[in-house]
Amino acid sequence: MFKPEQMSRLLIAASKDQMEPVIRELYRHNLFHIEEFVEQGKESYAGFRIGTPLPGASEKSGELIKIRSIANAFSLKKEEMEAAAKERSSAIKTKIESDLPALEREIEDLLAERSKLDAQVKEAESKIEMLRPFAGIPLAMDLYRGYRSIAVFTGYIKSDVSLAAPHEKYFAPSKESNFIVVFTPLQHAKEVENALVSAGFQSVPVPEETGPAQARIDHLNSQAASARSQMDAIAKKLDEIKSGHSEFLMACEELLSSDVEQAEAPLRFATTAQTFVAEGWVPTAKLAEVTEGLNRVTGGKVFTSELEVDLEHDSVPVEYHNPDFAKPTQMLMDVYSRPRYTEVDPTLMVSIVFPVFFGLILGDVGYGLILLVMCFGLRKFLKGEEGRMLLVSLRNASIITIIFGLLFSEFLGFELPWHPIIFSRHLGIGGEAGSSEAAIPALLVMSVWIGVLHITLGRGLGMVNHARQDHGEHRMKAVFANFGWLAVMWGILIAIWANFAIPYMPDLTGLPAIAAGINLGAVIGGILILLGVIFIARESALDIVELPTIISHVLSYTRLVAVGLSSVAIAMVVNYMSIGMFIGPSLENFTLMSIVMIIVGVLVFLIGHAMNTALGILGGGLHSIRLHYVEFFTKFYKGGGKKYNPFGMKRRFTEE
Amino acid sequence: MAEAVVASVATEVAVAQASAVGMKAVGAGLAVGLAGIGTGVAEMGIGAAAVGAIAENKDFFGLGLLFTVIPETIVIFGLVVGLLLLF
Repeated sequence: MFKPEQMSRLLIAASKDQMEPVIRELYRHNLFHIEEFVEQGKESYAGFRIGTPLPGASEKSGELIKIRSIANAFSLKKEEMEAAAKERSSAIKTKIESDLPALEREIEDLLAERSKLDAQVKEAESKIEMLRPFAGIPLAMDLYRGYRSIAVFTGYIKSDVSLAAPHEKYFAPSKESNFIVVFTPLQHAKEVENALVSAGFQSVPVPEETGPAQARIDHLNSQAASARSQMDAIAKKLDEIKSGHSEFLMACEELLSSDVEQAEAPLRFATTAQTFVAEGWVPTAKLAEVTEGLNRVTGGKVFTSELEVDLEHDSVPVEYHNPDFAKPTQMLMDVYSRPRYTEVDPTLMVSIVFPVFFGLILGDVGYGLILLVMCFGLRKFLKGEEGRMLLVSLRNASIITIIFGLLFSEFLGFELPWHPIIFSRHLGIGGEAGSSEAAIPALLVMSVWIGVLHITLGRGLGMVNHARQDHGEHRMKAVFANFGWLAVMWGILIAIWANFAIPYMPDLTGLPAIAAGINLGAVIGGILILLGVIFIARESALDIVELPTIISHVLSYTRLVAVGLSSVAIAMVVNYMSIGMFIGPSLENFTLMSIVMIIVGVLVFLIGHAMNTALGILGGGLHSIRLHYVEFFTKFYKGGGKKYNPFGMKRRFTEE
Repeated sequence: MAEAVVASVATEVAVAQASAVGMKAVGAGLAVGLAGIGTGVAEMGIGAAAVGAIAENKDFFGLGLLFTVIPETIVIFGLVVGLLLLF
């Protein structure tokens, strides 16, 4: 529960003719995390090489690439598909031989045809763009070219220009820019050009076309339209194929992937001319199962042995070992970093405390219910394992939000018909002045208590981690340093309690004074602080600079109350605006305008609360997890564990 | 004569109290507003870098979002000061 799954190091050695059955058996179990063999020249592995792939690997890889490209063209995503029924792999293998090549050829032909038509459409469109300016001039396109004694100027110009030299001019005005065509004898070309340029002339090349421009444009348009309709027909055919064969394609892809992975496994083993050796990690609980399976499949002709685990130098793959309700939180842990094999696994603690923080911040029955409904509604869209986990954690958080909403007596910002059971958050917005019952100092003190206790837990875990992981002199120093941080924090707390009476916190101001008016509590606090600083400095003198973070990290927990109160305030403001200002007065003096005002009021209510829900989810989730990552984890968590990646595949579309 | 003095003292006290409440409100507003500016300036660069990193690698989304909201502490402290002043 608080430690990752225990792993054993397994060594498998056999002769090369047993390699294929061993690989198949290991793949079927999906438990063996292969420790890749690297030719580093370790003495025990002198003379070993990495193996060569099993026969048939390259053909299968080629097939796999073709299927994956087809799936890509169809935009089929394996994670989003649900398997209706698993097919037997032997049935698929025969289908691969018979059906797949024809299907692939048909699809490839259709795709090639589609890209050809696409190029045609693009070409037609670019020609149309070039011809468009010439549509306003009543000349055939071939009249612009092929002159020996006439210069032709075609282009955009800012305004019409009158030219001195003999010329023929066509001017087509338009909104964006005017188009001008000038024909002039070659000897006057230069002066005409200067005149045009000084009027803002931008030349446009003449496209290679014949016939009137507008007719040409119509022709090209109809060409593009027919190409597009052909592309639509192809798309429809492709859709038919996709809906008919998508499951078959996914099953093929899964089968071929597993075959290719198994065929390439020898590249990760150490081999000699006649034998092979595979080292890897198996969860200790499943070790007997794996060795028994191997022995059965090879008829006893395999040597397996459990090696010693060196906790210092081996990088053991880490797999979580948590009860089911904590499994969704493992995703949150992976976002930060997987735990190391030797340290405490805080997933269970995060899975309990994170929803509590979320509920404290959001704390409203109405929003909790909205979240719960969203959870069930999103089930259709978020498929796949990660989406499911996210929905489960959302569901847990929404249930705790409803519980806290009942405790705070809040429903969408309205009061429920009972008094808040814990401190009230009802600010007096929209009511008379001074009607706020919110017990803000009490709430803030509660959040500081939560912070103090959470950080104490974190430091305690830090002590446990250092005691487990470090050795020798450094070990005691590190443990005492963590105790020193705790001592400084509690010393500051006791000193504050001895001098000020803070509500809901122990009041030590009444203790007898020892000397010069300094309380006994203050003395104890001072001693603890001094002791703590000495312990911290023993490990590393530079850590003294971090002492103010004690205060800032504890105060950081006040965000639980602050963000929560802001959410309550927004809800109350929305209620006051929609009901107090729009709907209420309209219902009292009912005129025709009132109907409009009531609709506006309802809109304000819906939009306001929708935005507040979104803010609450974002704010609640982010701040709660940030409190864990920054204030809790930095006290004890190192992370950086290697992910457990067993050799095998969870089959969704095929079965043996 | 005495009633006039008492009345004027009473109104002066009332005016002082009202302006004390007003000053508290101004203080709370300044606390939250200026702290908000600080947080905005801080999250500006981090957010831009996070968006760039996510554009390169979608898996970075969780960590990037986390890094971007780390400066929220500043505005929360401002909010706490504002709440303590007002209530």
